[in-house]
Amino acid sequence: MANLKETILNPITKGNPITVLVLGICSSLAVTVELKGAFVMALSVIAVTGLSSLVVSLLRKTIPNRVRIIVQLVVVAMMVILVDQFLKAFAYGIDKQLSVYIGLIITNCIVMGRIEAFALGNEPIPSLLDGLANGVGYGAILIIVAFFRELFGSGTLFGFPVLSAIGYTNNGLMILPPMALILLGCVIWVQRSIQKDLQEK
Amino acid sequence: MNTNNNIYTVVYTAVIVIIVSAVLAFASSSLKSRQEANEKAEVVSQILTAGKFGEKSEWSAKGNDAVLAFYKENIAEAYTVNAAGAKVADLNTADAQVYTVSDLKAQNYNIKGGSDVCLPVYVFKNGTVVVPIYGAGLWGPVWGYIGFEPNRQDMVGAYFDHDSETPGLGGKIKDDPSFRAMFEDKAVDFSDATPFAIVKGGAPAGKINAIDAISGATMTSNGVSEAINNWLNAYKSFLTAVVPASEENQLRGRMMGEPTNAEEE
Repeated sequence: MANLKETILNPITKGNPITVLVLGICSSLAVTVELKGAFVMALSVIAVTGLSSLVVSLLRKTIPNRVRIIVQLVVVAMMVILVDQFLKAFAYGIDKQLSVYIGLIITNCIVMGRIEAFALGNEPIPSLLDGLANGVGYGAILIIVAFFRELFGSGTLFGFPVLSAIGYTNNGLMILPPMALILLGCVIWVQRSIQKDLQEK
Repeated sequence: MNTNNNIYTVVYTAVIVIIVSAVLAFASSSLKSRQEANEKAEVVSQILTAGKFGEKSEWSAKGNDAVLAFYKENIAEAYTVNAAGAKVADLNTADAQVYTVSDLKAQNYNIKGGSDVCLPVYVFKNGTVVVPIYGAGLWGPVWGYIGFEPNRQDMVGAYFDHDSETPGLGGKIKDDPSFRAMFEDKAVDFSDATPFAIVKGGAPAGKINAIDAISGATMTSNGVSEAINNWLNAYKSFLTAVVPASEENQLRGRMMGEPTNAEEE
């Protein structure tokens, strides 16, 4: 049981895919301009990492070793296309907003990374939880970054005026990708100063 | 079992790919009607917004059925025109048949390539005429709709959309209502070299056929400007071939324009 708890908590804190493993940076820079987009992106990644880890874990004993990456890729791609199709049918506006980035979840290193590192060698249930937890770890950072970018870049939160209502002048730099990288650096800084064991000697 | 056997590997991969294709084909075909309905309602709600029948965000909140019902109730006729401004074919208004974004893209090639164009026109019962535009922004395509008064010269409104313009900068063509609000009291003037201009640094005050560009989004503004001019020029015969009232209105537009200019000087 302790092991399962570790599986779930580790990706969110000490093994966070973005701030500790520094994976999935590209999409976290691109979709964090607004909270709504970041939120849906986080949910989509959680679904994709969880389900593809589960499927690969179920198949793990049958996958020929030499073509395992291709088989994993096919599974991940299927999940991503399914998520995209569902969003197009049931959340058209948000799918339009996220445009290509849903499709680019396929190239998100977190998904393939967790399948290679965990799902190939573990039972289905822990693999599912590991995938979901990594998605949550990714999504949490996405939402933190998006919170600051939307608040200071557009003066709104989830589209509702907050700072813009009190006469704040929007900071154009916040909505450009470089600022996301700087904010991400700040998040990593904060995390490392709290969890000292993450610091390299 | 030896999973590294060549035959096993080939058969296994083939089976996986076939299963995945089957799942995707099933998902695609079962969700297709919903997706197409969403796309059509999106286009119709953009047309309605450009024609000043409510706001895009309100239509999105009301849902597909309300959008289509309102459109069917208020549309007088929808048809396609050629470069000479003559009607080519009718669009089925009872079914809310519209040109999708990919249809506009195809017509954009025709406009640029000089081959025969077949451009949609949406005429509402109150006389408002809505026409689409399509072109290239900074990162990807931009498109939109412009609504005209019955005289087909004065604009009532506009709506723009894009694929991948920078949110907060070029994305303002869609997200910032004040950008499209600038079109509301403007008009197209075909006697000018550019019938409608989006001017970096601000349009001259009182100029009837120009608006301000978005600061920080010069390339997107230029793209929208080019799209509008390309398409309105393609619609020129249609937009100018109306009722004597149009000349009168053009005149009125100029007269409205000049005194403000004089004040400015």
